[in-house]
Amino acid sequence: MITPTLNAYLVLSGLLFSIGFFGVLIRKNTLVIFMGLELMLVASTLALVAFSRYNGTMDGNVFVFFILTVAAAEVAVGLAIIVALFRKRQTIQVDQLDGLKN
Amino acid sequence: MPHFLFNLFALLTVICAVGAVLSKNTVNAAMCFMLSLVGVAGLFVLLEAYLLAFVLLLVYAGAVAALFLFIVMLLDMQGGERKPFKAATIVASGVAAALLAVGVLTFYHQPSLATAAAAEVPGASLKDYAFQLFSTYLLPVQIIGFLLLISMLGVIVLSKKFEDAEIAP
Amino acid sequence: MTLLQHALVVLLLPLVSATIIALFLRRAGNWAAGISVLAATAIAAIALILALHGGRFESSWEWLRLGEFSLSLGIKFDDLAALMLVIVGIVGLCVHVFSLGYMHDDAAKARFFGGLSIFMFSMIGIVFADNLFMMFIFWELVGFSSWLLINHWHEKKSAADASKKAFIVNRVGDFGFLLGIIACYYAFGTVNLTELATRVEGGAVVASSIPLLLFCGAVGKSAQLPLQVWLPDAMEGPTPVSALIHAATMVAAGIYMLCRINVLMVPEALTVIMWVGTATALYAALCAIVQSDIKKVLAYSTLSQLGYMVAAFGLGSLATKHEMGATTHEMLIATGVGAAMFHLTTHAFFKALMFLGSGSVIHGCHHEQDIFKMGGLRTRMPLTFWTFTIGVAAIMGMPFLAGFFSKDAILYLAMTKSTPVFIVLAFTAILTAFYMVRLWKITFLGTPRTHEADHAHEGGFTLTMPLIVLAVLSLVGGYTAYYPKVFTQVFELIPEAHDSAHTVILITSLTVMIVGAVSAFFLYQCSPNDTLAQKAPGLFNALGALRNSFDVAYDYYVAKIQQRFAMLLNFLEQIFLAGLIVRGFSGVVGLFGMGARALHVGKLSVYLYWFFGGVVILWLFVTGVF
Repeated sequence: MITPTLNAYLVLSGLLFSIGFFGVLIRKNTLVIFMGLELMLVASTLALVAFSRYNGTMDGNVFVFFILTVAAAEVAVGLAIIVALFRKRQTIQVDQLDGLKN
Repeated sequence: MPHFLFNLFALLTVICAVGAVLSKNTVNAAMCFMLSLVGVAGLFVLLEAYLLAFVLLLVYAGAVAALFLFIVMLLDMQGGERKPFKAATIVASGVAAALLAVGVLTFYHQPSLATAAAAEVPGASLKDYAFQLFSTYLLPVQIIGFLLLISMLGVIVLSKKFEDAEIAP
Repeated sequence: MTLLQHALVVLLLPLVSATIIALFLRRAGNWAAGISVLAATAIAAIALILALHGGRFESSWEWLRLGEFSLSLGIKFDDLAALMLVIVGIVGLCVHVFSLGYMHDDAAKARFFGGLSIFMFSMIGIVFADNLFMMFIFWELVGFSSWLLINHWHEKKSAADASKKAFIVNRVGDFGFLLGIIACYYAFGTVNLTELATRVEGGAVVASSIPLLLFCGAVGKSAQLPLQVWLPDAMEGPTPVSALIHAATMVAAGIYMLCRINVLMVPEALTVIMWVGTATALYAALCAIVQSDIKKVLAYSTLSQLGYMVAAFGLGSLATKHEMGATTHEMLIATGVGAAMFHLTTHAFFKALMFLGSGSVIHGCHHEQDIFKMGGLRTRMPLTFWTFTIGVAAIMGMPFLAGFFSKDAILYLAMTKSTPVFIVLAFTAILTAFYMVRLWKITFLGTPRTHEADHAHEGGFTLTMPLIVLAVLSLVGGYTAYYPKVFTQVFELIPEAHDSAHTVILITSLTVMIVGAVSAFFLYQCSPNDTLAQKAPGLFNALGALRNSFDVAYDYYVAKIQQRFAMLLNFLEQIFLAGLIVRGFSGVVGLFGMGARALHVGKLSVYLYWFFGGVVILWLFVTGVF
């Protein structure tokens, strides 16, 4: 049944990772940046599942399980931070969040 | 047929991801992000990881994306203006894009990976996952549980309002 | 308790006392004084028990080992150590008791008695030391306690300067001592005194540099020429300190150390030692004549007597040149030890007596130290007068007093070994009698010349009791035959004149004493001015200039040579150490910091580019570019 090659999945995974990366790179909105990060994570899970499938082992799949859990925790904490930040600074644009520099 | 499905889901995923990244409206971005995850879940089904596809839809598309939407609405910043890019940013991201493209293309021309035969997964049923999680990966499961607890506490602390917190300039 | 435990108690008791005072009793002067005096009493008692018991022992423990090199702490308790221990114990006790009265109203009483205790500890450590390293450790500790006690009235600039001077001058000598110890270890592979004796008797050749370097330590501590400058200045300290440290015990530690290492002596070194001692004796006696401060006179007198002891030690072995026999060799070296230690003993008693007497005078005259502002104290302070008179008589060599016997032993030694030394020492004896009678007459006879002297009064029991004890010891201290038979190893070495030599020595010593005493008695008037300065101002000024010459020379050296050298070193230090190395390193680190700060811009997207750079490098690594 599986006819797409492993490479096809990997290229797709790489493409998804790149898109996510660019999202983080060029957007200033913290929420969108966060989505980009999530896209990158999902891309890596896709690669893992594909490897697992083509190698015939379960380990990659189990690993994805963990990644999903960590990602969920990360989203919860990250969004809480964003909310707290917005309360404090009234903005979530990263180019205005350069308090570390001074 | 699998080819067609793969192409379909791949196209859906990529286009929605691009939409999520480029969309000016944050609500639109969040919706695109959700659709992109649906595409990935479809790809998981193609890879016979049914449970993972289900979990992805449930946790990501269901919970996380909804959370994003909630936050967007809570902070009320849809339609925020995006500033024009600076020249340096354009050049740098162009270089980065080129490098990424080269990186992705190298995958495509890896001969060893291209010929790798698809092997049968011994079993991807819920029972197998459970067996793996509670035997081989027992310690990581415990650690993940602990991490979730900590993040929950962290979120509670972060969302509390501190009256004496300093007012930012 | 075994003897060893007794010895350890004696050694550690003052340390415990000092620790308690330093930790708990800094505000409680009276308690501190009580504990310190109790400790001193116990020390004196146990020291007497140890000495009179007659048991002698040696014991040592390894302290630390560095490869082949090992340091040990040990106790060597022979007759020499026993004698010294008894002197330290008795004089220490007298001074402690005297201090009770003398320092009664002092603000920093606790510090003073703590200092006395730490001094007792260090001094007993020197007495017990069975190897040169341990001796050096305690040698430095007495230097420290001496500094602490001279500096007691540190708010007085002169006292602070004097303590610094004493410390620094002692460092010069101690540097030589340390070099000597290292050379000794290098040559023999051991610094244990007993093992050294075995090696030398076994035929090991001693280079003359080793005893001379070790002698440097004694030059510093016993204030011999040319390092004598610190002792007169050290009189800035409280008078009991001067009596204990700068007259009876610490300055005698140099002589004691020489006696300890007498096995290492070679004729060339002994000649040098003899002449250094003789020159010091003469120089200090000349200086003493023109002093007007009662304590300074005594200080120069101490110097002079220390010179006698050093000369006696040096004289002891000169005859080896004439008699080359192995057995006589040992014998003749040891006569110097006997004479020096004998004089050390008697001197400790009568000089401590005179210092405490002067302390009593100073206390009675409300801290007036100028003898020309005293006078007539004979009737006002009779007890002090009579005990002081005994001290003066003893130091002059009045027959049947302590100094008579010990000084005669030295003069006899000098007569048999070296005529020039004999002449110088005899002349010094004239001077000794001269300046002592001068001091005695101007201070005690005549009529009071100032208000303070007129209202002088005898001190309390604690002030007079030590004087009486020491006066008795000065009276009987010379009769070695009546000492308990436990110091025989030392006292059997005392040279004794026989027949014609005996007569010659007796006549000589009587003559010099009478000449010095009578001329001083008739020359000096009980007037507010120095009679010598009026009748022979040239001589008076010349002696004053002689006294100052060393200080002037050292000042010149320090200001003109050392200071310039230090400036040069400072310059080099500024350029190389501070400039190149310190600033250089900090500059390099700062440069890295600046670079790192340039990376830290506070923009998320910029960090992301760094992250991306990392990804690219990882990718290059995976694809095998490098």
